[in-house]
Parts: sequence; structure tokens; C-alpha cells
Amino acid sequence: MKLALRYIALLAVLAISVGPFLWQFATSIKGPNEDVFVPDFIPNDPTFGNYAAVADVVPVWTFALNSLGVASVNVLTNCLGAAMAGYALARLKFKGRRFAAVIFASSILVPFEAILISLFLVMRGLGLTNTLTGVVLPGSIAALNVLLLRNAFLALPAEVEEAAIIDGANAWQRFTRLALPSVKGTLVVVALFSFMFSWDDFLWPLVVLSDQEKYTLTIGLAYLQGTFVQNQRLVAAGTIIAVLPLILLFLLLQKHFFRGVGEGAIKG
Amino acid sequence: MKRRTFLAGLAALPVAGPLAGCGLGGSTGSGSSASGQVTGEITFQTWSLKPKYTDYVNGVIDAFQKQHQGTSVKWVDQPADGYLAKVMADASAGSLPDVINVPPDLSFPLAKAGQLVDLDQNLKEAKPEYLENAWQAFEIPGKGGCYGFPWYLNTGPIFYNKALFTQAGLDPDKPPKTFKELEEQALKLAQSKKIAMLGQTPTIADFGLYGVKVFENDKFTFNDAKGVEFVESYKRMYDAGALIPEALTQNYTGAGAKFMAQQTALNPGSAYDLGKFKTDAPSLYANIGISTPITNTGSANMFLHGVSVPRSSKNQATALAFGRFVTNAENQVKFAKLASIFPSTSKGGDDPYFTTEDGTDEARVRVAAAKQLKTAVNYTPVQFSDQMREALLQQLADAMLGKKSAKQALDDAVAECNRLLK
Repeated sequence: MKLALRYIALLAVLAISVGPFLWQFATSIKGPNEDVFVPDFIPNDPTFGNYAAVADVVPVWTFALNSLGVASVNVLTNCLGAAMAGYALARLKFKGRRFAAVIFASSILVPFEAILISLFLVMRGLGLTNTLTGVVLPGSIAALNVLLLRNAFLALPAEVEEAAIIDGANAWQRFTRLALPSVKGTLVVVALFSFMFSWDDFLWPLVVLSDQEKYTLTIGLAYLQGTFVQNQRLVAAGTIIAVLPLILLFLLLQKHFFRGVGEGAIKG
Repeated sequence: MKRRTFLAGLAALPVAGPLAGCGLGGSTGSGSSASGQVTGEITFQTWSLKPKYTDYVNGVIDAFQKQHQGTSVKWVDQPADGYLAKVMADASAGSLPDVINVPPDLSFPLAKAGQLVDLDQNLKEAKPEYLENAWQAFEIPGKGGCYGFPWYLNTGPIFYNKALFTQAGLDPDKPPKTFKELEEQALKLAQSKKIAMLGQTPTIADFGLYGVKVFENDKFTFNDAKGVEFVESYKRMYDAGALIPEALTQNYTGAGAKFMAQQTALNPGSAYDLGKFKTDAPSLYANIGISTPITNTGSANMFLHGVSVPRSSKNQATALAFGRFVTNAENQVKFAKLASIFPSTSKGGDDPYFTTEDGTDEARVRVAAAKQLKTAVNYTPVQFSDQMREALLQQLADAMLGKKSAKQALDDAVAECNRLLK
């Protein structure tokens, strides 16, 4: 009985989290002349034509390539930069270490919209507006990732490092040979998070970029929502195209992902 | 963000015939850089017109470049989502494009900050080419000066779901014409069949349609007795279930989706919505009823878009010439036909396309809307910003939920709007 209830609850949550996605998918394969605003999951006249149509309407592959570039660079800078910063905060002894950690933590609380304009002015000052570099830069080392990695490094027993020190390892060696290999799981989490954040980001790339050739996928797909006309089937097909890489990535990395989430959670 | 689609979503009206066939040479005025040569490169930013109207816009640009040898126009189109943020960021960095597509409520803060070229000063002779109410929409109230060429207008009918009307025993051929009838029928619909009439709490324009004086003497005034009466009517409807629960937080686009899902029985719309119903909600289209907008003032609401030239433009002469060219009668009528909207030039609405019916629903809606535009009013004050819209939405939600009286909610909304005004 208890088990049955548990499964019912699980199924309910599954329906809530997967249902809208299925609906979106169903919409994307609906043929013309079907109601798209009523939840009916089995199209009468299924077609994949909408996916081809998306590519006709907007240069979706150019956009996807831009997004992929931005997201990959973001993954690299975040894994590397956040690991270095996180290690410094967790293991190196320097004045103001605690203060620095607090600064990182509090910067998470500042809403992005509040610093949007000043950030844009900075990019303009650097001459980076309308470049993909300008898109990558502000998110290249995210505070959240630094803290995630800091916690992961803190979870390593300090004795291991002390032993390494006695063996004559310097900070750099301890970082690359000892600390990094033991937080692989968290690194995967950071990689996935930064890929996701940068893949999904809309407002910042929109503000920085002006040329359509440089647009990332999220902005590009916004073109499917025209001022006077919009075809919901195309919008749905576009969204599916946009989330597909995320789903694939997650499936590929899920083993590491769940290990990584646990890893950082040992110590706060 | 939402508001953007909302604005672009409706709009207004027509009239007028081809006058200045085309951009007449170097339209200029007395301003310093505004009176230079029409030559060189400019950038033109539009509001979400790609990819559907790409050919049209490119055609306009080609024609302009042919007419003015030595000019080159670079077109950038921005998605509607985030348009405000984008323009504001560019404005503070002084990097606005030379010609920008903005609705009046977006040109207003820019003009107030002295960022836009005053057309009254630099291009006074262009004024008679446009409808008077459209030109006025780009003036700063009380201060004069016009800061944008009026572009397209829109207004629309209300659409209602005949099937839902019939189910509740209402006459499907007698949709509400006044706000009083709206409440009566909505209550009936809700009480007999639990069907909601509306998908949205009133917008500022609805207050105008109800006959409330929304803005007077530099202050918001929609908390007068009439405004309270209006909100109380909505409260009665809300309590009876005549508004869907989502109405409290919903914008125009969201309400439109609910109507297409046949969860609400009535929704204001535009000529181009018919095409949407046909493809996205065919079973609604089969039962669609079309009626004139509900108004107590006799005037319908209208929306418009325009193009402005920022003062930061290095090539104002060309930018002004192009702005005038894009919005001239010929180009506007062509665009209006393409997009089911209406031209803002003084004679654009005289085109037979806007005056003769051919028996289709589309033509019927178009001709009715064009007629309605002659007296239509833009009920949304240009001072009404996105933040104010949010404030009103929240206060109305409180009033609907009974957390505040209608009077209190409106007083609070007006106080907040007036505070934001400063």
C-alpha cells in the first residue's frame, strides 16, 4: 500500500515535470489545421516538416554553432578558472580569504538585471560589444561554480595534502596532481552547469550582440515569435532543437553528475 | 518583455492616401548635423520583423539607396523579447542605431532624456503627411516637439466564442457592446456553465475605454469614482468566476493563448489574429464571432509604432530622410496590406483595400477596423512605463483577491505611478 502511494506520488511528479515537455513535442509535430492550444498529445497528422521549416525561417545552424562556441569556451574557463579560485579559497592560506569567500557568495545574490547596463558600458569600454568574446566574458568564471568547487576541495581530508607537503609538493603540484583528480565529479557538474547557463542565456547576448550572424540560438529562436504572426508549431520545434543538446549532454554525463552533486555536499 | 508583444500586438488605424510618393530628396531642416548631405552609411533597427517581412524591408532599403546614390542602410532586427533592455543599454552607452523602431511609450523616456531628434524643429514640413493623432502620439505632452515618424497603426475588433455563448444560453449574435452588458453576460456565463468570459484584468487602455480620465495635468488620475466603479465591476466578475484565475498576472499574449485554448469566451484582437485562429485553433475558428470593441466613449483604442532618430547619430540627415521614406504613404500602405495593419499617413486609409469588403472575414474585420481608426484614441499615456504596468497589475490582483478595496488598490497604483513619473 505504502509502496503504491509512493509510486503514485512519483508518477505525479513525473507527469508535472515531463508533461509540458511532451506537450511541446506533440505541438512540434502537429500538422497544419490542428488545434495547438488544447493538450492533445497524439497529433492526427504528425509531421517532422516543422523542424525543416525552422531551418528555412532562421539560420538555425549558424546560431547553434555560435551557441556551441560560446558554451564550450564557457565550460573551459569555468572548469579551469573556478577550480583555481575554489582551490585558493579552500586550501591556500592568505589574508582576507574568508572575506573573499563571502564576496563570492554575496555576488550570487545580485540580480543580473541590476548590473546589466554597467556591464554593457564596461564591454563597450573594452571594445567588446557585438563580439562573442563579450558574450562569454561576464560568465566566464561564475561565483556559484567557484563555491561549488571550494566546497568540493574542502571535503578532501587535509591530511592528504599535508602528506604531500611533507613530500615536497608545491601548491601548483598539489592542485594539479592531488586536488583536481579527486573532484572530477564536481568538475562535471560545473561543466554541465556552465554549458547550460550559457546555452540558455538570453538577455545578455541580446544586449551585447547586434549582428544577426553572431546571434546565439536563444536569440535566434526568438525570431520565430514574430510581431504579427507566429506559428506555434515552429516555436515548439525550435525549442526542442534548443534543448536537445542539453538532454544528450545530461544523459552522457549523468553518472558523474550524481556523484558530483554528492561530493560537494559533504561539508558546507 | 511581455508588454512588447502586447503593444505590437494590437493597434490601430488608418486613413489616408498616397501623398508623398516617396521620400523626396534630402528632407532636412535647420538642425546642425540634421541638415547635412543625404549620403553615407546608417543603421536601421526594427522590432521583430524578421524573417516574415525580410523581403519587404529589404525592398524599402533598396529603393531608398537607389533614390539616394551614395547611401547605404544596414538593417538589424531585434526580437521583441528584451527590446526595451537592449534599447536602454544602447542609449546609456550612446550607441543607438541611426534609425530605431519604437512605440511612443519607448520614445518618450528617450525624448525626455534629450536623446532623440525633434522632428518639429528639423522636419516640420513632414507633419501634414501623417494623421494628426498619430503625429501627436510622439509629442511630449505639454512640451511639444515630435520625436518619431508615425509608422504602423492598429486597432481591432473583439473576438468571441459563439459555441461557449450558446452553451450558456446567451444569444451568439448579441455579444456585449458596453461594459455593462459585458458584466451581465459574463456573470451569466460564469454562473450557468462555469465558463470564464475574460483572460485579463483591465489594462490602462481599458480604463480609457471605460471613460476614466487616465492622465491629466501631469498626473495619473485613474483612481477617480469611475475608475473605482470599473474595478468593482471586475471584482464582481472575478468573484463569480468570470475571469480565469491566471488573469491576475496575465498579459495580452497570455490572454490570447487562453482564448485560443477556448478557456475564455471573449478577447480583444487584431485583423491578423484571424489567420492565427485558422492555423492554430481551427475548432475555435469555426465558431468565431466578431464584434466591435467594447467602449463607453465611442472611440476604440489604437496602438502605434514609429521610427525615431537618436541625436547620437553621426549621420542625422540621412537617418531623417530614411525615417521619412520608410513611413511614407506608399511604403506604409504596402506594409499594411502585407501585415494586416494600418498606415498612419494622412491619406493611407483611403486605399480601396481598407474601404471595400470582398465577403471574407478578413476584409470585414479590416474595413471595420479602418473605419474605427478615424476616431480611435491611443488610450495608453506615453508616460505609462513597464514598471507602472506591473504596479497596476499587482494592485488589481490585490483588489480582485479582496486584500484591498477597489478604491484603495487604485489609490495605491496611482500613487506608485506618480512616484515613478518623477
